[in-house]
Amino acid sequence: MFLTSVILVLQEILEAALLLSMLLLVTRLIESGNKGLIANRTWIWSALACGVLLAWSYALYMPVIAEWFDYVGQEVTNAACQLLTIVLLLVFIYGIKNQVELPGSAHTLVASFCLIVVVALAIMREGSEIVLYLRGIMGQPEAVSPVLLGAALATGIGVSCGILLYYLLIALKRHIALRVALVLLAFFAGNMASQAVLLLTQADWAPYTSQVWDSSALLPEYSVAGQLLYALVGYEATPSLLQLAAYVGAFLMIAASPVFRSAWFRQDLV
Amino acid sequence: MTSIRKFLILAIVATLILFNFIAALRGYQSSMFEAETLFDNQLLDLSRLVSNLDESRINGEFRLGNNVAFQIWDNDQLVAASFHAPQDLITPLLGGFEYSNFEGYRWRTYTRHDDVRNRWVIVAERTDLRFILAENVVLESISPILVGIPIVGLVIWVVVSFGLSPLTQLSSQLGRKKVGDLSPIELRQTPSELEPVLQSVNGFINRLSLALEREKRFSADAAHELRTPISALKIQLHNLQQELGTKSDAFVDLQQGVERMQHLVEQLLSLYRSTPDQFAAECRSVDLHEITQDVVARYYPMIEAREQSLELEGERCLISGDRFALETLITNLLSNAGKYTHAGGNIRLKISSAESGAQLVVEDDGPGISNEERHRVFDRFYRTGNSGSKATGCGLGLTIVKHIADLHGAHVTVEDSSFGRGVAFRVAFPGAGA
Repeated sequence: MFLTSVILVLQEILEAALLLSMLLLVTRLIESGNKGLIANRTWIWSALACGVLLAWSYALYMPVIAEWFDYVGQEVTNAACQLLTIVLLLVFIYGIKNQVELPGSAHTLVASFCLIVVVALAIMREGSEIVLYLRGIMGQPEAVSPVLLGAALATGIGVSCGILLYYLLIALKRHIALRVALVLLAFFAGNMASQAVLLLTQADWAPYTSQVWDSSALLPEYSVAGQLLYALVGYEATPSLLQLAAYVGAFLMIAASPVFRSAWFRQDLV
Repeated sequence: MTSIRKFLILAIVATLILFNFIAALRGYQSSMFEAETLFDNQLLDLSRLVSNLDESRINGEFRLGNNVAFQIWDNDQLVAASFHAPQDLITPLLGGFEYSNFEGYRWRTYTRHDDVRNRWVIVAERTDLRFILAENVVLESISPILVGIPIVGLVIWVVVSFGLSPLTQLSSQLGRKKVGDLSPIELRQTPSELEPVLQSVNGFINRLSLALEREKRFSADAAHELRTPISALKIQLHNLQQELGTKSDAFVDLQQGVERMQHLVEQLLSLYRSTPDQFAAECRSVDLHEITQDVVARYYPMIEAREQSLELEGERCLISGDRFALETLITNLLSNAGKYTHAGGNIRLKISSAESGAQLVVEDDGPGISNEERHRVFDRFYRTGNSGSKATGCGLGLTIVKHIADLHGAHVTVEDSSFGRGVAFRVAFPGAGA
């Protein structure tokens, strides 16, 4: 019970914590040359509050949602959330400009909105699974203590990883930190796209394609290293062709953004 | 990096949590493995105990515990079994540890052959209960790590805050420093890392203080030294006029130029004397009306020469102040009004006293000062666009007025004149309660 709880919660928390770290890092690095982009950090608190509220509501209405679309509501809703996350992430990344923006300007509001929704959706998806798991466990009194202990331990590890990665990258030179953060965001977008395709395939909304490789013997997805790689770069031991295509497509869309190219080729934009 | 304190606390606590929690997980895994071995050894001991039991005393109600079952087989025949055990063979008679499912649970089994009595003994233990027992014991050792983290976090917060206190002190002392405060910074305890910073900052303050002092003294000294040659120049001009007996335009211009130079030197000296660190005010109760009367009397010939009308309104009004400084203030305001008001114009001085404090108003019907310029007239060497070609001034008079007003805690404002045109300067002195 304890170990299952650690693995399940860690998988969810790590992904959300790393995403939040990368977004904080990118906004901070961009802000150093562009004070008005996201002038203060109030968007984080709004995103966290919205995320927790959405996670709780999503878990609460899951039985109803699951019945939608001929009982594939959960898969379709999750996939839709992931695709929306990619779109908003692209809007945010492509919206990063060189001009100094004043707080409250239309561009700042759009950027803040995108960040809030991206983080809130990530917390909603990951958080609702934790809520569902914990609610299921509450019916077994003997399991409550080990499960809660495991959840607390996993939360601590996940959040600590996010904080340390953030400070580690902050300590690097600005352009290197920005490159790493943007590449990780591109990996994140790829992972989202791949997961969305997997869910849509499970719901029969996307065609089944052949498996490209099987590295589960080499690096199982449920090992600690597998979990960490999943959270960082969206590692999948048995991806399908469509998943791989979606992954590469989303990655390239982020990589083609002006901010990504200028960070990589050290141009003037950032 | 936004805050050193936040960075240190978050980074230290996160590192501590990460390594402690991962160590706890590793500890859990190895402890569970050890517990499994311990339970297996217990099962082995139990099998020895069972093989020594007298099977005639074992009936269907016999039990060794709720989570343990056993069977004794002799030549494919069940000779004895515990309460939980089924009538079938629990596990193949291969000897050693195995897993088996019966009674709706999963069991850990150990099979041994009793060579003395030539029979098989199978003991079994429920794996779920074993697991819960082992996990509870192991988690008991992990939970203090989790509970301790907030306490450790609090201790780290206190320690980091204490460690950074000299830095906080330094920044708050620098932040609290008033504009003219050039005293060195002193910390209660200076850590070795901050010693060079403190020395450097205090060195800068000291050099700045010396430079400012030199700058202030330079203008005052220069003005003071210029007084004597200017007076000599004036006498020589007077003698020259006597000798030549003529008064050409060039001569008049030269005389006015010398007058302006003398005025500038006097104003520079007044400005230096009215700066807060030079002004040794002898504050006593003085009559503002009487001082104004004296100044007006001294200045009247100049007003009369320009055929201007001068009114003095008000009555005896006592304030606390320095007589000499107040005379300078009124003289500067009156001289400005006289200079900038056209010939035949009107000047009015009003003195009033109220509970909130005394007020002195000097107003004229001259060209006035535009609203855009009003906030700049107190700047050093600032002259308004209306200063006119004939008015002589150096742009220091109102700066001196402001200095003296500040020294008396008074507030100077530029307003519209009650003549309908021109300007009014209002000096509001603080009341007795202020």
